[in-house]
Amino acid sequence: MAAAGIKLHPSCRARQERFGLLFYDCRGPRLLFAATGALLPADFFGTVRSRDEFPAGTSDSEKKALQKFVTQLLEKGFLREQ
Amino acid sequence: MSNKYVEMGMRSPVNLTWEVTLACNLRCSHCLSSSGIAAHNELTTTEALDLVEQLHTAGVFQVNFGGGEPFIRPDFEEILAACHFHGIMTCISTNGTLITSDLVSRLASNRLVAIQVSLDGAKRETCDAVRGTGVFDAAIKAVKLLAATSIPTSINTVLTAQNASEIPAMHEMARSLGVSLRVSRFRPSGRGADNWESLRPSPAQLIAFSEWLAASGDVRTGDSFFSLTTQERQGLGLNLCGAAKLTCCVSPAGYMYPCAFLQSDRFEAGNLRTSSFQDIWDNSEIYASFRNLRIHSCEECQRFDQCHGGCPAVAWHLKNDINGGDPECLERCVTTIADNRLPMAA
Repeated sequence: MAAAGIKLHPSCRARQERFGLLFYDCRGPRLLFAATGALLPADFFGTVRSRDEFPAGTSDSEKKALQKFVTQLLEKGFLREQ
Repeated sequence: MSNKYVEMGMRSPVNLTWEVTLACNLRCSHCLSSSGIAAHNELTTTEALDLVEQLHTAGVFQVNFGGGEPFIRPDFEEILAACHFHGIMTCISTNGTLITSDLVSRLASNRLVAIQVSLDGAKRETCDAVRGTGVFDAAIKAVKLLAATSIPTSINTVLTAQNASEIPAMHEMARSLGVSLRVSRFRPSGRGADNWESLRPSPAQLIAFSEWLAASGDVRTGDSFFSLTTQERQGLGLNLCGAAKLTCCVSPAGYMYPCAFLQSDRFEAGNLRTSSFQDIWDNSEIYASFRNLRIHSCEECQRFDQCHGGCPAVAWHLKNDINGGDPECLERCVTTIADNRLPMAA
């Protein structure tokens, strides 16, 4: 069975801020401040991604940190599997 | 709430309140905007649609529409559609009296809209005393129409001395109708200032509400009650005033303010007819003053981390000083009651 893709939840939005990405969940509303710097573009999760898919040029250590971050986003409901 | 990131400054508001018209078919005695007759210079349709474009460019996530009664404005659905076209989430605060099944059907075709119907008591007479005869029944009818759809719907109640004891019943009523309950803080602006003494909840009522809120995690408060937030609700909302940091207000005539409760010349940040939205957000001196606002007189308070001095709008309206701390914060409610219990000096 193919691994599920992940995508931004329809009730959520993300945008670039100086510190990184700001996530907004209108169901709360809730905010999530992610100090990702310029590692991920704001629209990255606007399309379905695999869990280990990150922008070209991401180092192994950055990928490890981002994988952990993706897990947190899934747990908090900002991303969903589909 | 990650205050350090907020203090770094946001490129634009997360959400904003847009009072699209001052026109309203009701004359609620606590109305923060003294709504009734439309302002003579309200934004035109073209100007409103241009503002939506600017909000999209700025990256605003959500627009909370209020007024006045938004649905009185003939082009309101056009403004809504423009927001939704750009993926901007919308929340409409309405008195419910103009909600029809046809309107609900049109609104339900879009997944980016949420609706708050104002209702100020679990009892008809409590609500209608504030909002007018027949409004309770009309609002309930609107809630039922909305609850039958997928539109996220809430009953929005302004906590007053008269309805404080009915809030748990309103919670039950909302549950039974299949919607959520949102409770907003009564602030002394607009007609609310005129009727402040008769409607304001007592310190004891505010403390009781705070305790009830702590046990009622599904009740929303928007940005209203961080001044009363208990430890149990930490993480459910703001722990500081978001005005000019995370949110702002646009008036019917295109003036921008820190928040809906500070719509006066003293707090005018700019006008959208003469400056762009982004320019006002970035460069307004009023906004800068709110971003730099520190309520030093509250810093020694044990609850400082929970409210950071509370609501500057209430401080302004009651003490004429936004630096003075919220006169009706939880700590001051407790102190007031304790002082009143002290025996008189001989």
